[in-house]
Amino acid sequence: MSVLREMIGNFFSRPVTIRYPWIKVPIPDTFRGRVANTDELCIGCSKCSLVCPAQVITMIDGPRDVVFKGKTLARKKRPQVDLYKCIRCGLCERHCPTGSIHLEHVHAGTGTDRDVRVT
Amino acid sequence: MPEVVVPIGPHHPALKEPVNFRVIADGEKIVRLELDLSYNHRGIEKAAEQRNFIRVLPLLERVCGICSHSHATAFAKGVEEIMGLEIPPRARYIRTIIAELERMHSHLLWLGVAAHEIGFNTLFMWSWRDREAVQDTLEEMSGNRVHYGMNEIGGVRRDLTPAQIKTALARLPDLEDRIQKYVGMVNSEETMLIRFRGVGKMSREEALKYGAVGPTARASGVDYDVRRDDPYLAYDEIPWKVITDNHGDVYGRTRVRVGELWESTQIVRFCLENIPAGPVRVEAPKNAPEGEILSRYEAPRGELAHYIRTNGTDKVERIDIRSPTLANWTSVAMCLTGQNLADIPVIVAAIDPCLSCTCRMVVVHRRGGRAVPGTAAGESGHDPKSRQDGWRP
Ligand code: SF4
Ligand code: SF4
Repeated sequence: MSVLREMIGNFFSRPVTIRYPWIKVPIPDTFRGRVANTDELCIGCSKCSLVCPAQVITMIDGPRDVVFKGKTLARKKRPQVDLYKCIRCGLCERHCPTGSIHLEHVHAGTGTDRDVRVT
Repeated sequence: MPEVVVPIGPHHPALKEPVNFRVIADGEKIVRLELDLSYNHRGIEKAAEQRNFIRVLPLLERVCGICSHSHATAFAKGVEEIMGLEIPPRARYIRTIIAELERMHSHLLWLGVAAHEIGFNTLFMWSWRDREAVQDTLEEMSGNRVHYGMNEIGGVRRDLTPAQIKTALARLPDLEDRIQKYVGMVNSEETMLIRFRGVGKMSREEALKYGAVGPTARASGVDYDVRRDDPYLAYDEIPWKVITDNHGDVYGRTRVRVGELWESTQIVRFCLENIPAGPVRVEAPKNAPEGEILSRYEAPRGELAHYIRTNGTDKVERIDIRSPTLANWTSVAMCLTGQNLADIPVIVAAIDPCLSCTCRMVVVHRRGGRAVPGTAAGESGHDPKSRQDGWRP
């Protein structure tokens, strides 16, 4: 009987599903999305590439000067992430000493190219 | 009537994951069940031995998609004990909150699946709709709906903000209301009673003999729950009770799970309201001293055990995972004996099987024979001779 009552009630309520392409699913601020790197902050310490469980961060050549704790450092390396192999665990973000590598709060996870790399 | 063998799986439209049942039937009645598991062996234990304590946690989370927090917590808590780390109270509470939210989403998912198996798709839609509220809460707290990545050795990775606690508390009354409705529905809805009552009966003695765990065992009157009998996290500070039932059939298992849903909401409410302030992690050393431990955890499906051995390095020397489904398979084989063929889906679904978590490599030492590297299925209590084709000891 309770099922019947519930069913009748549902006839008069709004659908709980979202009409997706027209209405976007709200994403919380904590959402772990695509990896991005802020090049000006990165000191090329390789920590992110060492903790990455999926081993998708390679350190590539990227000579540049970075200001870290008031000193200008000449750095040789910068991380490159194989985006579609990344499992979005957030360990790189957690262990990065400068907050340079981070996960953006965006959902975008589809594409036609498998070899997207972000630096 | 002669006995016939009905092979089901490993690939079958009715199965969600690969498993091979050989049902020996006499007419409509099941005489015996032979099980072949481990089509999904992923070598996780070996892979875990090659990763340090930071990198191994995301891997272990992926043992199971539904109880991912269980595996990570069981491992983290074992390693912390070997290291002699005491995690801060706030971290314990956060782990408990995530664990209970996970239990809620797992049981709601199960309720939907069980209803679907008996053709009651209305309930399936409802319970999966209500599960979304739990999933949203988990996503807000952890950043992901499934693999929460909350644990690290020494505490949790993210703190709960007051805003998150507030939204979670605001969602609870609605959920509690819905769960109360399910409790009523399970006990009175004729559609469910007809298909659940007296199906897959297992007595208390049988449950103990076949080593059933979790809600499957508690539905047969086995009053055992790791959360109470070997308390971990914050469970010894929270008022809650273990749900048991004496029916011993699928109906009993449903009642236990729905009862646990209610208990989980109460645990989550208590934890959110009484969460202590303070840090959420302590600094963990890189290496763990030599040691071994059996870390037990009450996952939504039952007792989960991680055997961990360390050797003074930053990796485990050996980890062995006994997932609850593995412990419950033998009882399924027993429950099915004498039942109707049409009841297979619901009896199998009643243990909430999670097949990929079950796939482990074990070495079976036969009495008087050689040790045979086999799979977990080698221990499930049927004729070993029928399983030898194609194996190379
Ligand atoms: S992103 Fe962070 S962790 Fe990675 S190399 Fe740069 S500074 Fe180091
Ligand atoms: S989110 Fe995880 S998998 Fe992705 S790059 Fe960072 S550490 Fe690697």
